[in-house]
Amino acid sequence: MSRLQGPSSLKRKQPDSNSQLDSLSEQERVVYNVIKSKQDLGIWSKDLKRETKLLDNMFGKCIKTLQSKKLIKEVATKNKGRKHLMAAEFEPSKEITGGNWYLDGNLDTEFINLLKDQCVKLIYKMKVATLEGIADTIRRSGIFKVEFTSQQIEEIVRALVLDNEIVEVKSNGMEEFDCIPIGKVCYKCASKGGKAEPRIGAMASIPCGVCPRISVCAPDGVISPKTCVYYEKWLDF
Amino acid sequence: MVTQYGIKFAVHLITSHFGNLVSKVCENLLRRGPLTLQLLIRFTELTPLQVKNSLLILIQHNCVQAFSTEHIGAGGNEVKVTQYLALFDNILHRLRFPKFLAIVSQELDKDCEEIFEGLIQHGRLTLEQISDRAESSAKTGGKPSSGGPAVRDAVRESFHKLLNSRFVERCPAPEPFLEPPSEPKSSNKRGAKSKLAGASETEEQRILASAAPIEALRFSLLTTSGTDLDAEKDGAAGSSVGEKRKHAAVDSDEEFGSKDKEVVLWRVNFEEFIRCLRHKACIENVRARLDDGAAIVLKAMLDATRSAEQKVKTETSVPLSMNTIFEEVMKNEAGRSLTLDRVRASLIHLGCPSAMRGTDETYSIDLKKIIELAQNEEVESIVLKRYGRDAYRMFRLLSKAGQLLETDKIADMTFVEKKETPNILYKLWQDEYLHMEKLVVSSARQFSFMLWKVNKPILWEHVLDEMYHAALNLNQRLIYEQEQKELYAIQPGTRTGSTEKDRLRNAKIYLQSSLVKLDDALMLFHDF
Repeated sequence: MSRLQGPSSLKRKQPDSNSQLDSLSEQERVVYNVIKSKQDLGIWSKDLKRETKLLDNMFGKCIKTLQSKKLIKEVATKNKGRKHLMAAEFEPSKEITGGNWYLDGNLDTEFINLLKDQCVKLIYKMKVATLEGIADTIRRSGIFKVEFTSQQIEEIVRALVLDNEIVEVKSNGMEEFDCIPIGKVCYKCASKGGKAEPRIGAMASIPCGVCPRISVCAPDGVISPKTCVYYEKWLDF
Repeated sequence: MVTQYGIKFAVHLITSHFGNLVSKVCENLLRRGPLTLQLLIRFTELTPLQVKNSLLILIQHNCVQAFSTEHIGAGGNEVKVTQYLALFDNILHRLRFPKFLAIVSQELDKDCEEIFEGLIQHGRLTLEQISDRAESSAKTGGKPSSGGPAVRDAVRESFHKLLNSRFVERCPAPEPFLEPPSEPKSSNKRGAKSKLAGASETEEQRILASAAPIEALRFSLLTTSGTDLDAEKDGAAGSSVGEKRKHAAVDSDEEFGSKDKEVVLWRVNFEEFIRCLRHKACIENVRARLDDGAAIVLKAMLDATRSAEQKVKTETSVPLSMNTIFEEVMKNEAGRSLTLDRVRASLIHLGCPSAMRGTDETYSIDLKKIIELAQNEEVESIVLKRYGRDAYRMFRLLSKAGQLLETDKIADMTFVEKKETPNILYKLWQDEYLHMEKLVVSSARQFSFMLWKVNKPILWEHVLDEMYHAALNLNQRLIYEQEQKELYAIQPGTRTGSTEKDRLRNAKIYLQSSLVKLDDALMLFHDF
């Protein structure tokens, strides 16, 4: 993706580290060059090891030296638990951090949920809303300090559709769609009362419908409807 | 295809209604497919008399259909062999009798309800038997004024109503001859229509089609020579139609090749009730998803065209003009508050293309779509309850996409942690809710991707099987609670008197109402 290799990260000036570079051993230099060549994408330590074809202890030593000389750094990514390395002069790109929805390599659920809630509230107020309408209203409301791209709003709206909190409808130009061109995709709240849980089906409302052990349950088996603990709980009034 | 737990549940129903012997015969037929009497005796290890009697009970209650085929015998000549086929659907319908009865009592009157109840209890009855039943119940009911003929006339009238509503039908032929499917030259009597659709017909469908009475006779109460005394008297009421019918009757007798004095047996027309319940399910789904207006319009349209529907699983409603729809809507009290514009808007909500606004426009509703949405909703709610909200979002994404999606993409679109995503997907896959494919790309290095998808036909069958399992469990728990109650009656004082009694009563209500609801879901996946 082109937007990831933004000019800011590439044009950053290299620190004056020639002296440090000169003092590197041959293996260290190889490792460093590979890391540096990845620019702001960095590299996963396992991939790096495979590319440099170094032995375990030698590889570890090289990394340690490079880190102590502050030539490379470890960065947090959306793939948590992976050791990801990058040359010191680069800032991690959005592709590896996960973009705006990630904070220090973690999905920023709190922020996402806040934005989702706001979107639902807005759509409920507007009755029917187009994507542009939602993005515009959020921007003007000033609730959030950050600016959202329309792509981000679209991502949030799509997730809300998957949550079944809002539904996608096409404008027919009548009634509530009065000022929306016919055929345009709009969104409205799934339930009349704003926020609501999806309807619980017949199967989901009995113990067997949500039973994790249903595959081992049999009339005279170890787990049976007669001895079932879930039933016991369900029918204990 | 009937699933494992489907069979277990059906056998359970038969056991609780007719006992172990009958259910043993039934189970063998369900598991092994159509069998001859000899084979049934061998497999069940029962005496010939036991098997015969069991078969008679099953046939009487429309759970088994006999048919004959030709086989090359030992001597090289053709021998006619009779086989028996268990009718899974009809067995399951036994669970729905209270629902059917409720429909009759809603649409017709008390007398019709009584006749209908008799048919439910006895499976098949002649009009004579129905009249006898009514007469004896009138006597025990202590109505001295109403003599025999009066009762019989009333029964006839009520029976006519049941026939007109298509709630009862003539029984199928007792033992139709089934021609081998490979032969292209088949009977012309069934017409080209069934042959066209018959490309993928199952054996069961072929047998049922060949046993079915011809459509003209199916719902007509006509008099074949002297079988029905009352009919002669009734000449005044239906003579004009009678002429035509008599003609058809002669034909039919020839067709069945039956004995001179054929006794006409009547039974419940399950198909019509399933159609009614399907309509009801569609209307309720629309009411919940859209609004009352849309539900009223849909109900009016379906009520008006119920008799014109060709089969239960019809994909779209019978087309109606705007005028007719409006007229029908106005017939309903709730519908009178709707204006023409509201009706039009509701039709658009219901998915009718708004482009075709001409003078003689007709509207037809996509019922298949409504059913599909209801099915999706049912499965999604299971996923939500069993696997949580993240899984719910993922499942809905994949279900809507209808194609393979890669793990990371799913994580991005559903806002779930990258690390957590594969675990959730894996759990769903393990329980057969998702289909998974591993894609290995080997260039300089090997990359492997996991692709996921919802495979609806397979999953729907799996869910249906789980539902049969759940229905069986509810039934068994119900029996267990009943046993507890009896046990309690023998030795009271184990728990404080009234609380335990209350608990048992509540448990029973809970289990029964859950079973009624679950049965709606069973029909949603199997019959609609």
